Amino acid sequence: MGEAAATLTLHPLGILIAGVFALSMGGLMWWMLHPPAEMQASVAKAMHGVSAVHRILVPVRGSSYNERAVELACRLGSDQEAEIIAAYVIEVPLALPLSTPLPAEEKRAQEVLARAREIIEHHGLPARTEVRRERDVARGILRVAQEQDVGMVVLGINPKNLAAGESVGKTTEQLLRKSHIEVIVDMHPEVSEDVSG
Amino acid sequence: MSDPPSGAPAPALPDGGGKGTERRRDVTVWGSFMWGYADVGADIYVALGLVMAAAQGATSLAFGLAGLVYILIGFGYTELASAYPVAGGGQYFALRGLGDFWGFVAGAALLLDYTIDIALFSVASVGYLNFFWPYLVGHAYVKHPIALGPLTLHDPVLAFEALALIAALIWLNIRGIKESSWFNAILGGVDIATESSIIIFGFLFAWKPSLLAAQWHATMSHFSFHDFAYGSSLAIISFVGLESISQAAQVTRRPATIIPRTSITLIFTVFIFAMAFSTLGLGVMPWQTFRDNIHDPVAVLAHHIPRIGMVAGPFAAFLGVTILAISANSGIMSASRLTFSMSRLRLVTSWLDKVHPRRRTPVRTIVLFSMIGALQVLLSAFTPQILDTLGNLYAFGATLGYILVFISLIKLRFSDPVTPRPYRVPLNLPWTRKDGTRVSLPILGFIGLLGVSMIFFEVVYTHRIGRIAGPTWVLLCLVYYALYRRSQKLPIFGSVPHDWEKEQIEVLTSAEEFDLLEQYKHALAARDRKRT
Repeated sequence: MGEAAATLTLHPLGILIAGVFALSMGGLMWWMLHPPAEMQASVAKAMHGVSAVHRILVPVRGSSYNERAVELACRLGSDQEAEIIAAYVIEVPLALPLSTPLPAEEKRAQEVLARAREIIEHHGLPARTEVRRERDVARGILRVAQEQDVGMVVLGINPKNLAAGESVGKTTEQLLRKSHIEVIVDMHPEVSEDVSG
Repeated sequence: MSDPPSGAPAPALPDGGGKGTERRRDVTVWGSFMWGYADVGADIYVALGLVMAAAQGATSLAFGLAGLVYILIGFGYTELASAYPVAGGGQYFALRGLGDFWGFVAGAALLLDYTIDIALFSVASVGYLNFFWPYLVGHAYVKHPIALGPLTLHDPVLAFEALALIAALIWLNIRGIKESSWFNAILGGVDIATESSIIIFGFLFAWKPSLLAAQWHATMSHFSFHDFAYGSSLAIISFVGLESISQAAQVTRRPATIIPRTSITLIFTVFIFAMAFSTLGLGVMPWQTFRDNIHDPVAVLAHHIPRIGMVAGPFAAFLGVTILAISANSGIMSASRLTFSMSRLRLVTSWLDKVHPRRRTPVRTIVLFSMIGALQVLLSAFTPQILDTLGNLYAFGATLGYILVFISLIKLRFSDPVTPRPYRVPLNLPWTRKDGTRVSLPILGFIGLLGVSMIFFEVVYTHRIGRIAGPTWVLLCLVYYALYRRSQKLPIFGSVPHDWEKEQIEVLTSAEEFDLLEQYKHALAARDRKRT
């Protein structure tokens, strides 16, 4: 053991270092003792159920409620930067071959999908559009979902139908019954049908 | 390593002494921090005198350089321990990343360190006990060398005291020592408060920048690269003990949330203490005083602070005795835990896992590794400086283990990108592989690997004993490994198949890290979808 030196020495730099040391240690300890809150298993499952969806399908027909569904899909997928697929299903009557030229419907599909793409790109998310010919709209949506390995379908429905006491619609009902993936149905009472384009 | 800081004490081995994973507990954040601090926090009590004796006026620089490498090592351990919160630490990470053979090499290096833990900290603990020599016998402690033929036992009293402490630790551990968690948490808290007080009052009342500058200039005017390299390689021992992070991760609930916080705090606390003590020391006393009091430098420094020195000196010495004895005990407990992990992974015989039928303590590992530690004390006593010799060996095992951990960190980023990493070593370069898998290259991981390799080079270059005894130990262990694997008809250089994904799910479930568990399951599903 060395002999003790009892001379008191005060130096401004020493005082500064002592202060910085005390603040650093205090700050470190405070940060350590305030960890984020615990997450329950069910909460984690619910959160990751949504954030694990990396591809969302939105069927569109050119209605305002369809465009709202595109917007909702973008918001749902924004955290995980999900790819949004906007699909327009052209229902071809059984009396006609599937490949029958339907130029007016094709043109309208492209216009509707262009608007959907604009919404998606506005969110900076990867966008894809698809025109599908099918005998039945619900079947067309399900086929696209299966082929594109989609994790979720977001569907906007017409509020006027419900207000008039009708059902949610044949397509929606079939989708809800037959889908093996998550389907979100959006009905906003103030969004009118307002088919444009 | 101390006992798990929970309400109930734990044996040296996981529950049952033979089951897969240990029961996790409600370890508080403070308790988890103390688990690591009880191990790493004691290092400065040993390292300060050793580094001062070698690096002299450039001690702060030596601590600073070693500390920067240590911070990078700490980041690596934090990432791996929070991603793989299981026992085994560096040995497990190396095995996951590089296979059974390198896992064993890392395990052998760490076992060397644990045995030196027992020896080094026992010697250091009784060194601080000798601070009280003047109070007890009326004069300062002096060595009484004994000549034994061509050899000289340089400090027989110190060696005898250390051997007595090791014997006591063996006895306590075989009986089933139950350190209480609150005792450790309080002792650790008192130690932090004491060290902080010494630093604050030291800088306020005793620090002279002119003395620091004069010592710096004196050292630099006849700078010796060899001495500085030796000092900075010894400085790494003030940061050894990061294994405790992964051991804490194994028994902590929500390790992914808690461990990054506690380990980052631990890393910076120890770094700040090392820098502060070295800077303070050089501004209060000449480095020669530390060299002359190599066994109790912190107590001597505290004793030199005006106003508080009369109390702070003995109190720091008392804390040194206690916390260093706990660290020595941690060597025994950690060796048992590591051996258990290695036997579960079929790297060593399960003979070592056998527990005492009544006490339920791993008698064989306790006795075997403690006796190796005792042998190291005895052999070191024939060298002029016991502590210096043991420090020599300590640095070799630690740096070799850290090199393998860094390589594993980098490799696992490629081979296991799906395991969620709640903490990542900062500064990463995103890169998409040919198969579309996105990985991130840890830039600091590469820098850390370079840094720790340089320290390893310094160890081999400057540590006369370490460069011979360290590799000899590893080679002897490898001979054993080859014989054991051959007897079990297992590959020597290859690996035993493991279902890591199943194990990872089990580990995350038992850790109650549900957030990570869901992330992991989704990542596996996405990967499988991509493959099909």
